[in-house]
Amino acid sequence: MAALNPHESRGIPRSAKTTTRILVIDDDACVSSAIRAIMARRQCEAVPALRAHAGIHTFHTSGFDVVMVDLFMPGMNGLDTITQIRSESAVPIIAMSGFRLRNSLDPDQDFLGMAMLRGATITLRKPFSPPQLVAAIDRSLGLACSTGDSE
Amino acid sequence: MTQKADRTKHPSFSKGIKVSGEQAEEPEIGRPYPERIRTPNEVGSAIVHQLNGPLTALRLYMGEIRQHSGRLGTTETDDSLQQIVENAFQETERVCTMIRLIADTLEAPLHQEGAVELGRDVINWWTRSSGTEGGGNANGPGVADAASPQSIHALLTPRQREVLSHISQGCSNKQGALRMQIGPRTFESHRARVMQKFRARNAADLVRLAFGEHAATP
Repeated sequence: MAALNPHESRGIPRSAKTTTRILVIDDDACVSSAIRAIMARRQCEAVPALRAHAGIHTFHTSGFDVVMVDLFMPGMNGLDTITQIRSESAVPIIAMSGFRLRNSLDPDQDFLGMAMLRGATITLRKPFSPPQLVAAIDRSLGLACSTGDSE
Repeated sequence: MTQKADRTKHPSFSKGIKVSGEQAEEPEIGRPYPERIRTPNEVGSAIVHQLNGPLTALRLYMGEIRQHSGRLGTTETDDSLQQIVENAFQETERVCTMIRLIADTLEAPLHQEGAVELGRDVINWWTRSSGTEGGGNANGPGVADAASPQSIHALLTPRQREVLSHISQGCSNKQGALRMQIGPRTFESHRARVMQKFRARNAADLVRLAFGEHAATP
């Protein structure tokens, strides 16, 4: 049994015994399938959700150590999803997107930056490699343990 | 309407909405039309969005395969790695199908000569906007910027170039024909050919073309 309450999982040091559970909210099923296949080989369980509402529902009904959220989805977008999850939980959130869509007039502002403002723990730009994925999950768990310090 | 005031703040909306007397209807020569910036942005965004999913999946699969490539084909091969190889193959097929669909969706210009030029323009736009990395010489030395007069002239025959030059100097068909010592009908046919090549609608388009700007935006 993994940690049932995301608040409880904050203080738990990850050991080889506990399976890290990852909720992947992405409308592109091939992304969550790939994350699931890669993480399964590392004894982590990734649960896919194709829409924000379905993802939030799954988040409520089951315990997760990390939530990965894609920013551009039909229906509720990733930014609002992050806001909603953050309003009720301190679970580490990884915002992922292939878009930066920087405005040349305001290059510091992009969608991944906005995700951080909404409460994402870290961001991951698509397409990412397995080491980047694993590092992002590790880092987000580590950051969540150290009382949400951002770099 | 406050919406109008807000929209005009954004530079890409400046064309088409008259803000003040200073705002010219025509953009300056050498500056691309806002529509020409927006359209590639939209097309590019759509393509990025389409390809990001399968490419993310592919990168994950291929990274994993590479890391454990030593075990492939040996008795050590585990089922989950085999499955990842199979998934990677499926994603590759999916990316190829997507690229084919995207390529088929793009509307071609009416004329084949223009098609090559427009294609180059798109590639040049991309290398320009992708910044310093690989930009500039990525197309090789022979490929000129489509907006530059050299590349437009490269598509024209010497006669057509001459006709374009006379038109850009303000000559009528008759005057141009006289200067070139050819019949007005011949001058007109050269002119028609140039207009057809670049989808120019009128003499003003041709003049812009001669000065290195694109003529028609459909």
